[in-house]
Amino acid sequence: MFKYVIRRVITSVALLILGSMLVFLLMRIIPGDPTITKLGGSIKDVDAQTVESIRSELGLDKSIPQQYLDWVSGILRGDFGASYFSQFSVTSLIEQRYGATLLLAFMAMVIGTLIAVPASVAGAIWQNRILGGVLSGFAAVGIAIPTFVIGIMLIIALGAELGLLPTQGYVSFRRDPFGSIESTLLPALTLGIGVAAATMRILRPSLVDVEHAPFVRTAKGKGLVRRQVVVRHELPNASIPAITAAGIIMAHLVGGAVIVEYVFARPGLGSLLVDSVYQRDYGVLQTLVLLAVAVFIVTSLVADIVLGFVDPRLRTQAVT
Amino acid sequence: MTAIAPTVSGAFETGRSDSVIRRLLRRPAAAISAAVVAILLIATLAAPLVAPYSPTDLDYTHLFAPPSWSHPFGTDELGRDLVTRILYGGRTSIVMGVAATALAMLLGVTWGFTAALRQGWTDEMLMRLADMLMAMPVILIALVLVAAFGSSTPSMIIILGLLFSPATARIARSSLLGELRTDYYLSAVSVGATGRRILARELLPNTLPVLIARATIVLAEVIFVEASLSFVGLGVQPPSTSWGTLLQQGYANLYSSYWYPIFPGLVILVAVLALNTLGDNLQQVLDPSRT
Repeated sequence: MFKYVIRRVITSVALLILGSMLVFLLMRIIPGDPTITKLGGSIKDVDAQTVESIRSELGLDKSIPQQYLDWVSGILRGDFGASYFSQFSVTSLIEQRYGATLLLAFMAMVIGTLIAVPASVAGAIWQNRILGGVLSGFAAVGIAIPTFVIGIMLIIALGAELGLLPTQGYVSFRRDPFGSIESTLLPALTLGIGVAAATMRILRPSLVDVEHAPFVRTAKGKGLVRRQVVVRHELPNASIPAITAAGIIMAHLVGGAVIVEYVFARPGLGSLLVDSVYQRDYGVLQTLVLLAVAVFIVTSLVADIVLGFVDPRLRTQAVT
Repeated sequence: MTAIAPTVSGAFETGRSDSVIRRLLRRPAAAISAAVVAILLIATLAAPLVAPYSPTDLDYTHLFAPPSWSHPFGTDELGRDLVTRILYGGRTSIVMGVAATALAMLLGVTWGFTAALRQGWTDEMLMRLADMLMAMPVILIALVLVAAFGSSTPSMIIILGLLFSPATARIARSSLLGELRTDYYLSAVSVGATGRRILARELLPNTLPVLIARATIVLAEVIFVEASLSFVGLGVQPPSTSWGTLLQQGYANLYSSYWYPIFPGLVILVAVLALNTLGDNLQQVLDPSRT
C-alpha cells in the first residue's frame, strides 16, 4: 500500500510540473502584452523608459525559462506574483475570494451525493420501469440543463417569488457561519443538481453491472433482503467507477462554479476568473488555471488512494 | 422481444447506413429528439419566413409582456417579440455551433487518425497531449482563449473548435484502430491499394457513423459553452443576438419579467437535450456492446 501511494504521489507531482509548464507556455504564446494592460490601454503615449521599468517590474525582461523558474519558486513560497491590472498581489486577491468558492464546492458536492446515492440505491432496490425512467430522465436532463438555467429558475421560484433564500452575494463564513451557509444554499443546490446527474450517470450502470456478480448471488443466497444486498454488497462495489471519476466530476464542478458565481453574484474565484478575462489580467489568469489543474490532479490522486483502500486488488497491480 | 430485434436486423443488414437510421428511429427517444432537432434547425434557419414579427419591431405599449396569443413567449425590454428573437438568435447559435463542430471534427479526426496510423511514439505523444487538455474544465480553457483571441464570431468558432478537438481525437483514434484490425482492411492492403485510397474509400466511410454520433454530441456541447460564455458577457457581443445573449439580457431584466430569461433558457435546454439524446442513441445503435 505504501509503495502504491508513493508511486501515485510521484506521478501526480510530475503531472503537476508538466501542467504548470503547459499553463505558463500557453500564457506566453497567446497574444497581448501585459505592459499594455498595466498601462491601461495605449503604449504610444508612454516613453520607452516607463515601459522598460514596468517590464522589469513584472520580470518580463528575463528569459522565458528564468521567468518560469521565478514564477514556480514564488508559488512554492506562497507568492503567486503580481496582478497585471489591480494593485493587489494575486495571492491577496485569491485570499479574499477562495472562501466563497470552497464553501460552494463543498456544499454542492454534499448535496449532489445526497441526491445521487439514495436515488441510485432506490432505483436498484425497487426495479420498476417508472422509477427507472424517472431517474434516467433526471440524469439526462440534469446533464443537459445549463447551470445558469437551473440557477435562474431557482432564483425565481425560491428567491424572488417566495423570498425563502437570499439570491445574491455572500456572507463570510468566519463572520457569520449560519448566514454564510444560508447565502450558499441556492448556488450549491444549483451546482449540486449537475453533480448529482453526473454521479448518477456513472453509479447507476455500474449498479446494474454488479447485479450479476457472484458475490451478489451469494448475498441473495444466504437470505439477505433486497435492501441489504444493495446497500451492503452492491453499492460498495458499484461505487468504484464513481470514485475513479471523482476528478471528472470535480472538473464539472469547477466549470459550473464559474457560471454559478456569476448568476448569484458571489465574490469567489470563478467571478475573479471572469473579471480577469475582461481585464486581460494574465497574472491572475495563469494562477487560476494552474489552481484548477492542481485541484483536478489532487482530486484524482486522493480518489486513487481511497480506491487503494477500498479495493485491495489495485495495490498489487502496476497502476500508474 | 426488444432485445432480439436489433440482432436479427443486424444479421441481415446489407446497406449499413440505411439500417442504422431505421434502427435509430425505432427508438422512441431517438425519434422524438431527431424530430426536435429537425424542427429547431428548420425554424431557426428559415426564421424570416417562420417568425411572426420582425426582430427589430419595437412595441412600446407592450414592454415585458407575459406570454399571450399574440406573443407566445412574451416580449422583451423594448417590446420585441421573444419567439422572433429566439428564432433569429438561434441562427447565430446554430451556425456558430455547426461551424465550430465542423472545425472540431476536422482537427480531431486528423489528430486521432494521425495517432492511429503512425502509432508508437507519435501516438503516445498525441494522446498524452489530448488527455492533458481534456483534464481541464472546458469553460476555463474557453475563457482563457477568449481573453487571448477576443470574442468576434470567427474567433469564437476557432476557440470552440479547438476546445472540442482533443476528445474527438480520442474517439477518432479508437474507431480507426478498430477498423485497422478488420479483414476488409487487410484485403485492401493485400490487393495493393494505396494508403490514400484505403483511407478515403475504405476506412473513412466505415468510421463515419461513429464520427457522426460524436459530431452530434459536440454540437450540443458547443451550443452549451457558447451560451455559457455569452451569458457571462464574454461570448457573442450585442447587438448580435444568440440564445446565450438573450438569456443574459433576460437575466438582467429578471425582476421586470420572469418569463424573459425562462424561454431562452428552455430553448437551450431542449436543443442540448435533444442533440445529446440523439447522439447517445446513435452510439448505442452503432455499438450495442458499449451500453
